[in-house]
Amino acid sequence: MSLPESMSRIVIVGGKDRLEETVNALFKIGAVHLIDYTNDSDEGLSIGKPLDFSPQASERLLKVRSAAKDLGINAAKADFEPMSLDDIKARISAGEVEAVERTVFDTIEERNKIAQKITESELKAKTLADLSKLPLNLEDYSGYESLTVMVGSVKEDCSEPLAQVPNSDFYISASDKKSRPIVAVFVANADKDKASAVLSEHNFVEMEVPSGTGAPADAKVQVEKDLEEAKAALEAVNAKLADMSEQHKSFLVASDEELSDEVSRGETPLRVATTDYSYVIDAWVPTAKVQKVEDDLKTMLGSGVYMEVQENRGRNLHEEEHAEPRFKKAPSKWKNGKYGKHYEFPVSLVSVPRYQELDPSILIGIFLPIFFGFMIGDLGYAIPFIVLGAYGLKVAKSKEFQAIATVLFFGGIWAAIFGTFFFGEMLGMHFLGHATDLQHTWESLLGVALPEWFNGVVIGDHGVSKIGTVDDISFLLKLTVYIGIVHLLVSYFVGLYNSTIQHGFKDAMHHKGGWIFSLTGLVILCYAITQMLFSSVPLEGMLLYLLIAGVVLLVIGIVLCWPVDGIQSILELPGLVGNILSYTRLAAIGMSKAGMALAFNYIALIMLAGSGDILGYILGGVVFLIGHLMIWVLGIISAGLHALRLQYVESMNKFFEGGGVEYAPLKTKFKHLIKTAKIQTEV
Amino acid sequence: MDVGLIAIGAGIAVGLTGLGAGWAEKDVGAAAVGAITEDVSLFGKAMVLMVLPETIVIFGLVVAILAAFVLPGYIPSA
Repeated sequence: MSLPESMSRIVIVGGKDRLEETVNALFKIGAVHLIDYTNDSDEGLSIGKPLDFSPQASERLLKVRSAAKDLGINAAKADFEPMSLDDIKARISAGEVEAVERTVFDTIEERNKIAQKITESELKAKTLADLSKLPLNLEDYSGYESLTVMVGSVKEDCSEPLAQVPNSDFYISASDKKSRPIVAVFVANADKDKASAVLSEHNFVEMEVPSGTGAPADAKVQVEKDLEEAKAALEAVNAKLADMSEQHKSFLVASDEELSDEVSRGETPLRVATTDYSYVIDAWVPTAKVQKVEDDLKTMLGSGVYMEVQENRGRNLHEEEHAEPRFKKAPSKWKNGKYGKHYEFPVSLVSVPRYQELDPSILIGIFLPIFFGFMIGDLGYAIPFIVLGAYGLKVAKSKEFQAIATVLFFGGIWAAIFGTFFFGEMLGMHFLGHATDLQHTWESLLGVALPEWFNGVVIGDHGVSKIGTVDDISFLLKLTVYIGIVHLLVSYFVGLYNSTIQHGFKDAMHHKGGWIFSLTGLVILCYAITQMLFSSVPLEGMLLYLLIAGVVLLVIGIVLCWPVDGIQSILELPGLVGNILSYTRLAAIGMSKAGMALAFNYIALIMLAGSGDILGYILGGVVFLIGHLMIWVLGIISAGLHALRLQYVESMNKFFEGGGVEYAPLKTKFKHLIKTAKIQTEV
Repeated sequence: MDVGLIAIGAGIAVGLTGLGAGWAEKDVGAAAVGAITEDVSLFGKAMVLMVLPETIVIFGLVVAILAAFVLPGYIPSA
């Protein structure tokens, strides 16, 4: 459990002519979280203008991205040759971006032209093929003054009505099932309307007759030849594009990175206050790094640029309330170790922790895998989880999948531990003990006796049965309730700590401390009452004292909470009982899985394989495999989600507020580019 | 006979609470999906709200388990 790193607010002042140098230095230092300057804060100050190189860099970045898009280059997937920063800078300033973009653009244009030509030729070839069904040459369709020519297709043979049209002649192709008949009508201009009326009745679709001479079939041969050539050309252009993509891939990815960096540096002055001759940069820096930042600035910029610490922000909310609006929120910098880091993602799904509260990542990191493992609680399902988790940790790159893989891996380990020693189960069957009518055990199934020491390490005779005797079930239910009480208490104590650093201990006792008393009192009270009701223990001696202690604690809790929460401090109590009972899902989900496993095992091993013939064995095997696979997949969803829910709803609701600003320092982020110094040692 | 009634009672406990939770979740779920479509960063909060009514089933389940496993012990073995 850790608070976000302490932050100090600094101000950097210098002459306006030094702004570019300063921005570059800040990007190099990579620890300065800029506070955006809002225009109306002070008189005489205004936002700065982008640095000189910024417009050109933006333009180039646009070109790089459009070229990369045209070439289908994906920066995340491209296999990239290491390239040095100086090299790429030199190539960009030599105008290579423009040159590459030009050639890519030209080639794409060329491809579009060819593609368009292919479409046109294909249409033309089809028209010519249609026309070749009529006994006319291409020149016959045009060049008339007193005649109108209508060429097209109709839905059926319309010779008879066409023959009725005065002053006309027509040709029509024989109709077949596959295509519509082609018709060419030559009609005196005066009777044009009559002919078109007949044609439109027959669903006439006009076609454009290509210019040219000779038989359409001959022309078609020529067009098809052209088409072939165009297709070959298209292939050539595509090959050229693929070559270009291969050739410029590294350059484009690298210059994208470099230019993005330039643009973000170039636009930094837009977030900074300037006067006519000077600039003022407000920023947050981790307190631990203040000295280093100051030294670095001094070495990089020399005299003329001044840095001063304005405040070291504490965790008390007073400080935040009294600050100027834009200085109110200090950024939260996650401060987790290697393991806790993976759980920042589930926390950030809710919200970024505030600067003044504990980051719950590690709390989730402890309880989430345990809960997940407890709900799975079976060695047979645990092993694939561990394998999958380990594989995921190795392969996964994104935060999301890293987090999921971590939960699967560590949850799998807990599941193996609980499965082996606590439940003594694998694939829904106990290791030890004798078979019953309903279920096998591994000993009875394999006909072996497991070694004596193994009996020793498993709890009870054969582990706790998820589906079995009253004792086991009530033990599981009680256990999960106790787990819940512990988890809730931990959450409240975290809340108490947060409240203490935010408001001081006295206020914290009203905010959270009272609830700790209420919860404890409630638990003791409920314990005493259940003892009275279910176990029929008479209300005297120890039990009576317990009951009184519970009531007293409860009253103290309510009294403490009253100033802050009012009537809520009583109304919320049943909710608290609900929160505790909510943890019985830990047992319930395990039981539901065990129930399914029991059913599948019964069908597979006792009904099918128990019949003794080969078909029974095969079917039994299939049911066994599919059934357990299904339970396993459901396990990820139900156990995973419920474990997470217990963190979010039951636990984090008790202390986590969120709504912090994530620490995002000015920084050059190169994924692919290698800085010069490094490339010389590595390559 | 008593055991049969207890089993029916346990079934009703889980069944009705399941129905209740489903009824409650359908509204929350629809709203949550809508909200997430607008703004993905709401996922965590949406999920918390989404699973809140689920507790109802857990109560039903606890009652059912108590009914199925604990109650038979109280039947007078007459």
